[in-house]
Amino acid sequence: MRWWVRPLVRLVAALLLPVAVPAIITLLIWALPGDPASIICPPESCGGTEALAARWHLDEGPWGFFSQWMMGALSGDFGNSWRVLQGGSVAELLAEAAPNTVMLIGLALLPVILGAVGAASGLIPRKVDGPLYLIGLVPALVLALVVAAVVQLNFGAGSSDPEQLARLLGGALVLGFADGAFSGAVSGVRGLFESENRQRYVSIAILRGETPLSNTLPNVAAALAGQLRARTLHLLSGTVVVEVVLRINGLGDLLWGGALRQDFAVVLPVATGFALLSAFLLLVQALVEILASVHIRRSPSLSVVAP
Amino acid sequence: MAMRPALLSAGATALLLAGTGATLSYFEEALPTSLNPLFASSMVDFRAQDLVFDRLWYHDAITNELKSRVVDKWEIANGGAGIKITLKDGLKWHDGKQVTAKDLCFTVNAMLDKRTPSPMAEGYREVLKGCETQGQLTALVSFTKIYHNPRDRLGFAILPESAFEGTFITPDLSFSSQPKGSGPFKGSRGRRGVTFDAFANVHHAPQIAQLGLQEGGDPIVQVKTIINNGVQGIIAVPPAYRPEVSSSDEVALKSYDLRSWWFIAVNPNSPAMADKRVRQALNLLIDRTELRQLSIGAKPGEQNSPCEFISGPFVQSSPYYNRGVAVSERSDKAKARQLLTAAGLTEVGGRWHNKGTPIDLKIGMLAPLNNEAPDLLTQIGNQLGAGGFAREESRISVDEWNRKVVTGQATNYDLLVGKWSFGIVEDVNDLFHTRAGKEGKKNIFNYSNPQVDAVLDDFSKARTDTAAQDAYHKLHTLMADELPYLFLWKLDTRSAWRTEVRNNIITPYFYFTEIDGWRFGSGK
Repeated sequence: MRWWVRPLVRLVAALLLPVAVPAIITLLIWALPGDPASIICPPESCGGTEALAARWHLDEGPWGFFSQWMMGALSGDFGNSWRVLQGGSVAELLAEAAPNTVMLIGLALLPVILGAVGAASGLIPRKVDGPLYLIGLVPALVLALVVAAVVQLNFGAGSSDPEQLARLLGGALVLGFADGAFSGAVSGVRGLFESENRQRYVSIAILRGETPLSNTLPNVAAALAGQLRARTLHLLSGTVVVEVVLRINGLGDLLWGGALRQDFAVVLPVATGFALLSAFLLLVQALVEILASVHIRRSPSLSVVAP
Repeated sequence: MAMRPALLSAGATALLLAGTGATLSYFEEALPTSLNPLFASSMVDFRAQDLVFDRLWYHDAITNELKSRVVDKWEIANGGAGIKITLKDGLKWHDGKQVTAKDLCFTVNAMLDKRTPSPMAEGYREVLKGCETQGQLTALVSFTKIYHNPRDRLGFAILPESAFEGTFITPDLSFSSQPKGSGPFKGSRGRRGVTFDAFANVHHAPQIAQLGLQEGGDPIVQVKTIINNGVQGIIAVPPAYRPEVSSSDEVALKSYDLRSWWFIAVNPNSPAMADKRVRQALNLLIDRTELRQLSIGAKPGEQNSPCEFISGPFVQSSPYYNRGVAVSERSDKAKARQLLTAAGLTEVGGRWHNKGTPIDLKIGMLAPLNNEAPDLLTQIGNQLGAGGFAREESRISVDEWNRKVVTGQATNYDLLVGKWSFGIVEDVNDLFHTRAGKEGKKNIFNYSNPQVDAVLDDFSKARTDTAAQDAYHKLHTLMADELPYLFLWKLDTRSAWRTEVRNNIITPYFYFTEIDGWRFGSGK
């Protein structure tokens, strides 16, 4: 396979993802029993169901609904929430929730990245793998419940700033260590470097007095980017559980609330937001792959001289 | 005269400024769905909206007298099919604009607009015919028919015309989260709570600067938090946690008359239960005393029990409750067996069969009821199981309850455990009338009985309180025999408030109607 095929596939996937996700959700709306308009206003006891459905473009079929939503979204108009915060601006909900989720993932990525660096540089010895593996066996849900109880006992049920910070830090801790996030990063990166270090060119580089890392890094960069993307996606999916359990006002919590109440005015943009994040990660991975490939191909080629 | 409203308003503002400025926080059962009164779908919504809006007429919390804070004078018009209302002068919306008759007529027209997707408006469409302004403050509201208690029919909240583009009002308008009312507080709903800021008006002088509504969650956390002064109030304390609250010197339990009663609706269209003897037998298999003890923790013979048995569709304190109908407190398995056998059911291997097929009862319960009566569903299942019925139990979410159960589409269930809550007007016609057109809109299992319909029609046509009572007393007797519902109890609702909150009179059903008189902290 030519070197540019993989990055190209990722680029195409990154472009399609933000459109495909809302399209699939739109189809789901029609596949689900009942519709949001009739939940708020059951036709049996309420006279305005049809007018409500028309207002929300639910009467125009999946394509009509999807195209209307897409047009609005492209102009930055996500409308108002149907049920999660009835009448509240969805754009404002997103603006309020997105920073919390980004911060949560950012904080959760810290131990993951540190673990990867520690493993790559040999700072984290192999003998700690066992305990790390055991920690990683704890499911995010269980750890989140424990953290929620600790926060609740120490801060009560209010919504003060210290309490929110405690929830955020606790959530990051859960995401960073539960479900094998940290131990997976350590063992994955260690395994990658160990197998690369067994390559002949590394031995030759060592004989030449070069460090193994400077030689292996360009070759494993693409794989590392792939691992990082997978870990970030893993954290992204974990945010839903963590945010719901810890009552963090983030995108995951918003998505859960919207899905639970069939508030598709909220579900569509939030899911699209997750798709955009995923697309961004794909783009980063593709970029790293391209840069690594170009770098490797720019390396001086040795001319073979006959003895 | 023009000086009077201004002086009152200034006085109210001064009183407000004299307050402590502290926020009074309280736990609600959930966050309100909407702050727009047209889209109230739960008691939480009603309570929150009562802080923000003025209802045209309301009942006094103590005397039960029909009162209005916004109506200056009124008179019956059109031979009883209308009412001419003059609003008080100087009333203001939260944006400072004046409340006028145009707003009153706008509210009526919004409810009459068939596009407005509001079950509440749908109810008013049967009562109201129209509204026309007669000057700045006077409006003539017309009814679809002559009512013996017309003002009782006008308990809706007034909406500001200027906040809407037309009479087609939808729940997703920003008004639902940032409403503009004329009530004592200006409300603003966020993702995790609602903030209510005091708004001094001619007719309101709230003494508390700010109220904060938070979602309650686990009852034990709520109780611990109020005891530790994390919040100052809890709207509903489940019976099991009341002793702990009572033991605190700093928190007081207060009664909240919700006029709500619990029931088990029986599906009369289910093959086994079409025969009323089977329903009567089920009624005899239910041991209410045991149920009450196991789920609520109320012991037999306990004084001041939070749970009061009922024998019909009214609470015992209601004028419609027929005291001639006895309550069934204990089970009577022998009699139940006789009835089941007489109805043609056969008992094989300890299980009842209908025409050779074993009866498997599918029982559902409105999920939030489990907070008030833990394990009730299981206990009911156990009692019916001990009576010889196989059963399958499931909890039903609020959404599904509203969408399927209330609209009569949950016909796959045999029994449904639920609770109805009422205001002063305990109109149960929608629960039992044959579902047809505008009648029987909350008839869970589409129960239909011409005799019952006739009695319900008598209630609708009643022109006096006595006639209305007579009709519902008859209904009570019929219900106790027909048993489309197995009536359980009225479970009293108790709130908990810290003692720093003073003069906190709780209004039945709407709760905060007398909030102006509440005091908190070092304020007067």
